[in-house]
This record gives sequence, C-alpha cells and structure tokens, in this order.
Amino acid sequence: MSAAAPPLSHRKAPKWLPYLLVSPTLVIVLVFTAWPTVQAVYMSFFRQYLNFAKFRTPTFIGLHNYRELFTSPDFLQVLKNTAIYVAGTVPASIVLAFLFALLVNRAVKGIGLARLGFFYPTILPMVSAATIWMFFFTPDYGLFNSLLETLGYHGPENWLGNPHLALLAVMIVAIWKNAGYLMIFYLAGLQNLPEDVFEAASLDGASWWTQLWKIAFPLLRRTTLFVSTIAIIDAFQVVDHIFVMTQGGPSGASTVLLYYLWQVRFEDQNVGLASALTVVLIVIMLAITITNFVLSEREGA
Amino acid sequence: MSLKQRVFSLAVLLLVLGLALAACGSKATSTPAPAATQAPAATEAPAATAAPKPVTIEVYYPVAVDAPIAKILNGYIADFEKANPNITVKPVFSGGYGDVKTTIQTTIEGGGKPPVLAVMLAADLYDLVNAGYVVPLDDFIKAMPNGSAYINDFFPAFMANSRYDGKIWSIPFQRSVVALYYNADLFQQEGIQPPNSWQALAEAAQKLTIPNKRWGIEWPSGWPYWLFQPLAIGSGQNIVKSPTEVVFNDPKVIAAVQYYIDLSHKYQAMPEGVQKNWGNAPADFAKGAAAMIVHSSGSLSGILSQAKFKVGVMAVPGKAPGTYATVTGGGNFYMLKGATPEQQQAAWKFIEFITQPKYAADFSIQTGYIATRKSAYDTDAMKAYIAKVPQAGQLKDMLQYAGAELSCMNLGKVRNIFHKYLQAAYNGQMTPEEAMQKAQQEADKALEMFK
Repeated sequence: MSAAAPPLSHRKAPKWLPYLLVSPTLVIVLVFTAWPTVQAVYMSFFRQYLNFAKFRTPTFIGLHNYRELFTSPDFLQVLKNTAIYVAGTVPASIVLAFLFALLVNRAVKGIGLARLGFFYPTILPMVSAATIWMFFFTPDYGLFNSLLETLGYHGPENWLGNPHLALLAVMIVAIWKNAGYLMIFYLAGLQNLPEDVFEAASLDGASWWTQLWKIAFPLLRRTTLFVSTIAIIDAFQVVDHIFVMTQGGPSGASTVLLYYLWQVRFEDQNVGLASALTVVLIVIMLAITITNFVLSEREGA
Repeated sequence: MSLKQRVFSLAVLLLVLGLALAACGSKATSTPAPAATQAPAATEAPAATAAPKPVTIEVYYPVAVDAPIAKILNGYIADFEKANPNITVKPVFSGGYGDVKTTIQTTIEGGGKPPVLAVMLAADLYDLVNAGYVVPLDDFIKAMPNGSAYINDFFPAFMANSRYDGKIWSIPFQRSVVALYYNADLFQQEGIQPPNSWQALAEAAQKLTIPNKRWGIEWPSGWPYWLFQPLAIGSGQNIVKSPTEVVFNDPKVIAAVQYYIDLSHKYQAMPEGVQKNWGNAPADFAKGAAAMIVHSSGSLSGILSQAKFKVGVMAVPGKAPGTYATVTGGGNFYMLKGATPEQQQAAWKFIEFITQPKYAADFSIQTGYIATRKSAYDTDAMKAYIAKVPQAGQLKDMLQYAGAELSCMNLGKVRNIFHKYLQAAYNGQMTPEEAMQKAQQEADKALEMFK
C-alpha cells in the first residue's frame, strides 16, 4: 500500500458490511412488524377467547373465523362504513389542504397567523379535538348547529345520535383535523416551484386559473401522491375521535375497521376473530400501498 | 485490512450492537414496569419473627371521575402506612375503568406481574374470574374475627356483583346508583308532586316542557344499558337473570323500551332518538334547560354546586303506581393472582382499613359516591353531612329499589349486542319488539358456548 490511503469510495468494503449496516432496521422490522403479522395470520386459524378458561387454549378451526367475518352483517356494515369514511375524508382533506396552501402561500401581512389558524388543529391531540367537537355538535345550542341554522339548515341536529349523521360527524372532525397537516406539504411544494415557468405562462397570457390547474397542480403531482398515501393510512389508523364521540354508535353506524378490531379484541376478548380482522386490514392496506406504488412508478417514468 | 479499516469496521459493529441492545432495551421496558417495583419485598431475607417483614403492594386505580381521587386516596394510604409501618402501598392512578382493566390484561397476557390490588368495575366480575386474573377473598374473610358481620355490613345491592361460583371475589368501594334528578322549585311552581309511576313521570315531563326552551326530561342513551335498566326493573323484569342468561325479549322489557320512546314521540317531553348528552345533561339541568334528568348519583355534587334551585333526587318511578327502581354501578376492589402470601395479607389489611366506616363515610362526603357500608351512615361525620345535604341520604335510601347491573359471561359482546338493538329501537330503525327479539337471539348465541 502506498503512503496515501485511497479515497474511501475506492476501497473494497468487506462483503458482510452492507448486511451488517441494514441489520438493525431489518431486526426491528422483523421483530415489530413481520413477526406480529405472521402471528396474526397463524392465530386467525384458531379459536381463542381470553375471558373463559375453556377457550383460553387455542384450538385450530381452519377458516372458521373468516367465514364468521364475511357472513356477519356487522362486519359488512363495518366495511361499508370504512369505505365511506376513507373515500369521504381523504379527497376532501387533500382538496382543502391544497386550497389552504394556496391561500397562505402569499407574502401578506399577518399571513403567519392564518397559517397558524389552519395548522392549529394538527397540534391539538385528537381526543381534545373530539371533545371540543362534541360540544359543537350538541343539539339545540351547539355551535355547529347554530352556524348551520344561520345558513338556512333546519334538518336533524342530533349529529352523534342519528344513525344517518354519526359517520358524517366523525368524518367532518377528521377532515378538519387533517387538512391543516396536509397543507404543510403543499405549502412546501408550492414554495419550491420554479418561478420562471409561471413567468413564461403569464407572458403567454395564461390566466391564474389555467396556471393553477395546468402548471402548479401537475408539478405538485409527487406531493399529491405522498399526501394521498399518508392521508389514506391515517384514515385507516386514527379512530381516537370515534372512541370519544360515538363509541362506534348509534347501532354501529360509525364503527370503522380499526375500532371494530379493538372491540373484538379487547371487549369481546376474541383473539382468533381479531387476528382474522387484522389480516383483512393488512391485506387492504397492502393492496392500497402497492397500487399507489405502481401508479407513482408509472407516472414517474 | 488496514488498521483504519479495522477500526472503522469495529466502530460499525459496535454501533450495530448498540442499536440492537437499544432495541432490546426498549422492548424490555415496554412490558409494564410493575414487576420490578415488587422485587424488594420478595427478596427480603427472613427477618426475626418479632418484627413483621416489610411488604410492598401496588394498587391500580381509575381516576377518570369528578372528584380529586388521587389526593383523597393518598391521604388514606398515608394513614394506613402509619398504622402498618411494615407495609408500603404504591398507588398507580390511570385513566378510566377500561384503562385499568386493559393494563392488567396486557400485563398478565404478556407474562408480567400484575398489581396486588385493583379497583375495577363490579360488573366485570365474570370476565375477570373466567380469565383467571383474580383470586377469591373467602379465606381472608373467614380469617377475620367477625368476617360475616363485615360482609353483611355492606349494602346487599352493592354485593350483588361480588359473588360467583359460591365465592366472594370483590369488595365494594366506589359505588353509585341511577337517580332521577328533578327541579323541585319548578315542581312546586307548577303544583306537580314527585312522580310515583311511569304515567305520572310522563305527564310531569310533558307539563314542564317548553318547546325550544326547556325539555321535560333528558335521559342519555349514547351508552345506554345502564340508564335503561331502571326502566326494565321498574317494568318488572331486569335484563339479566344469571351469568349465562339475559332477558331482552320479555314483553315487560319491550314495554320499557316503548316507554322511553313514548317520552319523546307521544309526550314530546324528551329529545328524540339516541341522546348523546351524558356530559351535557347535568349542566342542562343545572341551567334550567331540562326540568328532570336521569343520571348517575355521582353527579350530585356537581349539580348541587351549579344549580340555583332546590334539587330533588329520587329513584326512577316504576310502571305500577308506588313502585320505584334503580340499578347499581361503579367499582370494587379485586385481588389479582401472582402475589406472595405476605403481599396478599397486606392487601387484605388495606381493603379492611380503607372500607372502615370512617373512611367509607369520608370518601362518600368528598366524592359524592354512596358509602358502601351501612355503619358508615352511623358516623357523626356522615350524619352532619346528610343534615346539610339531605339528597345524599336520599340516594342511599334508593338502594332498597336497586336491581343488579348487567353482568354476565362474555359481557363485552353481550353489552354491545344490547346497545346495538336498543339504539336501533330508540332511533326508530326497528320496532321495540323486533329489536329486542333480535338482541335476544344474538345474545343467546354469544352466551351459548359459555354455558
């Protein structure tokens, strides 16, 4: 070897080094994600109730848990609720986030305050937010109802007790909570857009509207993909407000997948069925993630 | 490899090991810590027989109640430790009843060591016993010089959820009943007597309703079984019969569901459908937006401090004139498996200590819960309190009308089934008859394998 050592990149690293370097992540993923998944799949073929001695020891029952799930009207209702919840909250939050970002992406005096206003629901813990909204939704004198009344609404006011409104009510809270958070990503995206494209468009006489939809929005495609991914995951994973506001009721009208999973596991103590539900949840999430990934790869190409 | 390379590789290796250790460490601490804190007592060398061995016991306690529970409990614990210098009591305060139960459940299922004592819902009896989490208390009671007198001093209504399989599994601690609160000033103004039947209650509510200004009565139903039970009991049929038998489709229960619906539809005296107003009802009542509410006895002190009128409390009138009904609720002391005999003895001492009439009375006065023992009402402190707040005495007198709270095998599932169909009936999605038949069918199925 010469006296001067060659640059690090030219050196031949030992073969095992890359494996060693990824091993911590790998171990953590295996222990905390892969292993529980395998366990859930395995347990979903067993009957095990923790609240009764006779059924504490798991018994193999094949696909029975899945058969029970897919023939249960409760579960089908839950799937429907979840679909409505995700399809309702995700696009609405994203559109609002984009609009908020456009609104506050200007150098106007006091814009900081407006940004804070839009962002503040994000800082609030979901449980506190839900508690506040419970008061907003109060029939007779709740703020939300008063507001709707001044806008000319005279329909039912019992948002959390009415089976046709309860799901909508928890969706409104989720949208309110998420839009500000997602706005941050659009705001960052907007501020990174190249100025010259817009200048050129202006010179060509493109209207503000055209610039927005034909230039800004397409350029923010990557941001939109990212935002939609986390918004979808969030929609499946955050159910705190349901615990506070409706407990999944009335009559299961606002029960979504994760809340149902909690009920089956911790209230019914039915480990087998809860595992089957976990598998269903994982499959749905995986399908969405893969679809998203494939779409983004195709568009990126 | 050059020295530099070696050093670099070594550094990477150490880093990886460190991360792995950190990961393991965080995993270890994620299993609940309680186990560690109990070690000193267990490892203590056998002392001379004269001085009792030092013992540490942990007590899990829900704090999601209106009163400053932690402060009150810490005071009692200090008194106890003074009287028993060899025993250290470590209270662990956590969220609500559900949180305490879930913590203990996950600790035990995860192979950890649960606390020696915990206050959990009286109604959770069967699930806790069936899961094998708790130990029976009969041996401790028998070892007392006056064990049966001790047990008999608790109000029988509060002991209703303590016995199973011929054994006693829990000791009543913070207990409540369902009460009907009424605005006594309004009653007097309108010349209304406290109602003594369903009919009288409905008419009073109707008379006191002013559209868009005041409801005759509010009756929360977001988590409905508990506040519904007085109606079923008052109709002549409680919804629970035995640990494996619930009664939802009895005509008397169906009549109770219909009565609740009638209060809004026929008498226009109550908000329609499922009422999500558990939190708001006491405030509505105190500010005059509701002339009557059905709520927990635990709300009494809050209501009294806010209301600017004379507050009446009574049991919920029954269907037949002159009958009344209520139902008990709240938490009991349970002893958990896995403690040493010394810890169990110490834990029992603590239960005995804290349920003494003196403390039962003080706890009731400070929190608004009903004192669990008859003799607590003979203490001077309690007599003075009732002279000042007669409603507290009236709540206690309601215990004679109390039925057992819904408690059975597979409780979580059965309760969810009942809620689903009761709310469907309240919201007019099904007739009471249809809803209760379906509830019965599903509940029977959920209980079948537990028979």
